[in-house]
Amino acid sequence: MANMLTVDNIDVYYGNIHALKGASFHVDEGEIVALIGANGAGKSTTLKTVSGMMHPKNGSITFLGEDITRTDSYKLPTKGMSHVPEGRRIFLQMTVMENLEMGAYIHKKLSQEDLDLVFRQFPRLEERRTQIAGTLSGGEQQMLAMGRALMSHPKLMMLDEPSMGLAPILVEQIFDIIKKLHESGTTILLVEQNAEMALQIADRAYVLESGRVTMTGTGAELAASDEIKKAYLGG
Amino acid sequence: MAFLSNLISGISLGSVYAIIALGYTMVYGIAKMLNFAHGDVIMVGAYMCFCAMNYWGLPPLAGILLAIIICTLLGIVIEKLAYKPLRAATSLAVLITAIGVSYFLQNAALLIFKADPKVFPSVVTLPNLRLFDGSLIISATSIITVIVSAIIMVALTLFVSRSKTGKAMRAVSEDKEAAQLMGINVNGTISVTFAIGSGLAAIAGVLLCSAYPTLMPTTGSMPGIKAFTAAVFGGIGSIPGAMLGGILLGVIEILGKAYISTELSDAIVFAVLIIVLLIKPTGLLGRKINEKV
Repeated sequence: MANMLTVDNIDVYYGNIHALKGASFHVDEGEIVALIGANGAGKSTTLKTVSGMMHPKNGSITFLGEDITRTDSYKLPTKGMSHVPEGRRIFLQMTVMENLEMGAYIHKKLSQEDLDLVFRQFPRLEERRTQIAGTLSGGEQQMLAMGRALMSHPKLMMLDEPSMGLAPILVEQIFDIIKKLHESGTTILLVEQNAEMALQIADRAYVLESGRVTMTGTGAELAASDEIKKAYLGG
Repeated sequence: MAFLSNLISGISLGSVYAIIALGYTMVYGIAKMLNFAHGDVIMVGAYMCFCAMNYWGLPPLAGILLAIIICTLLGIVIEKLAYKPLRAATSLAVLITAIGVSYFLQNAALLIFKADPKVFPSVVTLPNLRLFDGSLIISATSIITVIVSAIIMVALTLFVSRSKTGKAMRAVSEDKEAAQLMGINVNGTISVTFAIGSGLAAIAGVLLCSAYPTLMPTTGSMPGIKAFTAAVFGGIGSIPGAMLGGILLGVIEILGKAYISTELSDAIVFAVLIIVLLIKPTGLLGRKINEKV
């Protein structure tokens, strides 16, 4: 499998706080890779650094063979990267349609095909296409955030806590959709606090602890490890 | 008849305020800053048009076009040089800088054009409209001002609600980081906003000086403050709010001048603002903080 994303030994700071300490990992084409870890372990910081919202002090990030360590975040969607940030960050005052249009911003024209694809994946969004996004429920907002990210045809989709704040039944649904996206050829980098769900669908996973990658393995290996069970899977 | 005539002058002046207020409100919506130099861009626009017509013998339309081009560039340059380096700074630092830019523009104009007022020839050369056997005279400048403003408002509303760039502007105004993740160049969008706002200021400057022909380096400051008031009055960040606020402010000012007191007209304008803000702190059409355009 071809290498898609390589994060090599990055150090990231928030002012004086050393948030990522020499973190390294990679994602191959066609994989689902999960980053798990406790609150404040640096999971979201990792995604933000990959998508250019922050830049590392040391180390390098390579995406599809190109060094993107200091690339501005707005240039990355054209290269095939899409980041669904923590808290969804949909445009609450714009309609569902307008949110999807913004997702397709990097394309010259909005294609009906792309829209149909997203609506097939998320029929609820089609029903609510003219509704203001701020009036959607939490689950629908997550669907919109993912649908919006799909509109750019990403090769790599990074999802930050897609299950956050959702009822268990919706969490299942969101994970089913992630699986479907993966089957249709999108490579996925997933950040989750819900380690159980994440390890179930991940090909490989990395465990982050206070800014360091401390363990790695296949999803199944990690799910079976005693340490992981104790720390993240509730026994 | 006198009332009708006053009302029309009020709407005409208010339309100019509205055009200026649009610049304030758009820049605030996108960059979350109050560009107090905006009023002085009006003055620059008026001087450009004045020079083009009086010194270089160009026709009024060419003068207006030149004013728009110069002010659009000026807006982009001001943003690049003065505000962009302060993107991460406190809002107070940006505000002080904006006041600095305002003084810079006024003093630069003082240096180039001297302090003595110039008499601005109206760009509108059409005859006045006489209605009801001449008992109601509406100046052609007023009519053109209202028409031009109406066109600008409709065009801007369509631009922001329908065009891709307009939608991107709204996305940036709501959430800059999320907008970047969509591939929207936030700095570019801010530049476009300054360009549009400043281009509109040029038009406002020419229309204002056509109706009130005294042109001095400080010509832009009072209308600038009034338009800022109008933007707050209507709800800062809201485009329809700026339009409504501008027109209401102009009407209140002119009617106050005509029926209450000439000296107190400005005081009345600001008193109305205070009352509105007491009752509705977000302005007439304003929404919650953070929910802008």
